[in-house]
Amino acid sequence: MLALSEVRFRYPQADADALSGVSLSLRAGEILGLLGPNGAGKSTLIALLAGVARPDSGSVTHAEGAPARRLGWAPQDFAFYPALSARENLAVFAGAAGLGGAEARQRIDAAVALGQLDSFIDKPALRLSGGMKRRLNLAIAMLADPPVLLLDEPTVGVDPQSRAFLLDAVRALRDQGKAILYTSHYMEEIEAIADRIAILDHGRILREGTLAEICGEAGAQATLRLGGPLPAPLAQAWAARNALQAIGPQAWTLNLARADELSGVLAALAADKVPVLAAQVGNASLEDVFLRLTHRSLRDEA
Amino acid sequence: MSEAPLFTRLLALWRKEWIALRRDPQALAALFLMPAVFILIMSFALRDAFNPGAMRLRSVVVDLERSKLSENFALQLRAPEGAAPNAAPAESEAQARALLDRGMADVAVVIDKGFAQGLRGADLGVALPVKVLADPTVAIAVQQGFRQAVTAQLGSLRAAEFSRRVQSLMGMPMPVATAGPGLVPLEQTGSRMQPSAVQQSVPAWLIFGAFFVVIPLAPVFIAERRQGTLQRLHALGLGPGLLLAGKLPPFVLVNLAQALLMLAVGVWGVPLLGGEALHLPDGAGLLRLGVLTLAVSFAAVSWAFLVASFARSTEQATIIGGVGNILMGALGGVMVPKFVMPAGMQALTAISPMSWALDAYLDVFLRGAPFAALLPRLAALCVFALLCLAASVLLLRRRDAYQH
Repeated sequence: MLALSEVRFRYPQADADALSGVSLSLRAGEILGLLGPNGAGKSTLIALLAGVARPDSGSVTHAEGAPARRLGWAPQDFAFYPALSARENLAVFAGAAGLGGAEARQRIDAAVALGQLDSFIDKPALRLSGGMKRRLNLAIAMLADPPVLLLDEPTVGVDPQSRAFLLDAVRALRDQGKAILYTSHYMEEIEAIADRIAILDHGRILREGTLAEICGEAGAQATLRLGGPLPAPLAQAWAARNALQAIGPQAWTLNLARADELSGVLAALAADKVPVLAAQVGNASLEDVFLRLTHRSLRDEA
Repeated sequence: MSEAPLFTRLLALWRKEWIALRRDPQALAALFLMPAVFILIMSFALRDAFNPGAMRLRSVVVDLERSKLSENFALQLRAPEGAAPNAAPAESEAQARALLDRGMADVAVVIDKGFAQGLRGADLGVALPVKVLADPTVAIAVQQGFRQAVTAQLGSLRAAEFSRRVQSLMGMPMPVATAGPGLVPLEQTGSRMQPSAVQQSVPAWLIFGAFFVVIPLAPVFIAERRQGTLQRLHALGLGPGLLLAGKLPPFVLVNLAQALLMLAVGVWGVPLLGGEALHLPDGAGLLRLGVLTLAVSFAAVSWAFLVASFARSTEQATIIGGVGNILMGALGGVMVPKFVMPAGMQALTAISPMSWALDAYLDVFLRGAPFAALLPRLAALCVFALLCLAASVLLLRRRDAYQH
């Protein structure tokens, strides 16, 4: 539906590229979760996809027609008119999208239903709650019934009920066959909603794949609680190879390529006569992978 | 939908502006009331400065001699055609000075002792003991005019006294002038006529008010840019040119409504408060006035777009727009009429679009200028507007692309 190929983009007077050789594709009936710390290049990437900015090199390919017809964009900010009511906003954006007469009325009704805006449709947008504004923002993006949706932090600042409603609405759109690019600061949201995930940092895609692929590639993590000190040779070897980390008195974590490598770890400890009080192994979480790749938390400032 | 009907899209944008304007009555009130109040204030404040001859000076006459001749002179000064027709008597020079100090009189004539003797003296070159005192806040030209009128009256009295003396010496009748010869008639002519206060104030503040549109327009525009609304519209295929076209007509209409109110204030409001009425041209003149107002509005709204596109914040826009307008107004003869400026400053006014507009309005109001005579100034205003729009489009393209 939409593809970026080797896209490079730099802001004037910037020292580094905002996007550096980014390739990404968005498919019909799929939610692509885009993760990245602040300043990673997410908004720039969305601006390029939306067609408001042009890449310095590389290409943005839309499968069908002009971007305006194919794209619905819900920016991170409340990009509508606060002085106008929800209904007036929908009418203005429908007209701006070129929808008129019966078609416009039909599409506005569909957008109102999607966002469940009936109860506040005639209230000035200025006076809506954060959740209502997010729903209106999404409804506006859906006015032209676009096959591709760009949702930039669509749940930021909303209450849990509104978040659940928005996530359900996005899933329903995916089930209708829409291609959706979804960025969020909430890792659990991406884990819950995305069919594929791309991790972006410093203008580069660091990983791309399903949750299982990304976490599987990252291997497993073992947690050990020992009954005595860790012998120095083992500590040195594991620190170099397994990113050994002390998490408490005689408690450690270490990364493993696969979960079954734990038996080798336990055998080495047994050989050195180090009692093992507890041992646990599990796949790395998305958050572990993200931290390992970016060395930054998702909410860190750039 | 880039292939969507253009008019549907423009109609949506115009509708949005119309609703947003209606929902901001405070901004609209400021836009309409500010220039209307200025017109009322300036039409009265500048009335005497624009027509010093019409100024009614409050005068005082002090006769310290109290001779028949001095009383006769005081009477002549107070006569309807005299230099001080509304003069009030005062007992002493100190009393006259106190009245001037307190602002209760503008000028005073003091006739000192020795007046009659001086008048009867043979030497016409000897100055008579008469002096004029003036409040320094009265315009110098008016002070000088009053002094000359008193001097002329004194001259006619001296001539009459001289005639009487010759008559008594020669024993033959001589014609005696009992009053001055009156003023030599003065007619203002030519194309460089000076406006009255209302003829200056109405177009001047109408223009300033039109350019004042930057104050409500720019902050809204910047907020739309910062919230991503403009980018969202851009993503729907509306480029900067179309976005500006979506804002231009509503604000031009606001400007035209504003201009109608300003003209109404000049025609009915100012005379209602005792000032001079503005006389509108009729027929083709009215049409020329309409075309000119449209051109002024086009320039003003385009300038507002440029400020809104250039400024990064509302505060910046308010400062740039406000200071820019004040500079254009000061240079353009809005705040200080051009004809009181020195020649160098008058030449400098040519760089201000407000000056082009004001000159064109004065051409219409004062000179009944034909359309062809207005064309160069109309063209200048339109070129200014087009340059502002072109620069705005460039700036918006850049800002859109770089998400400012």
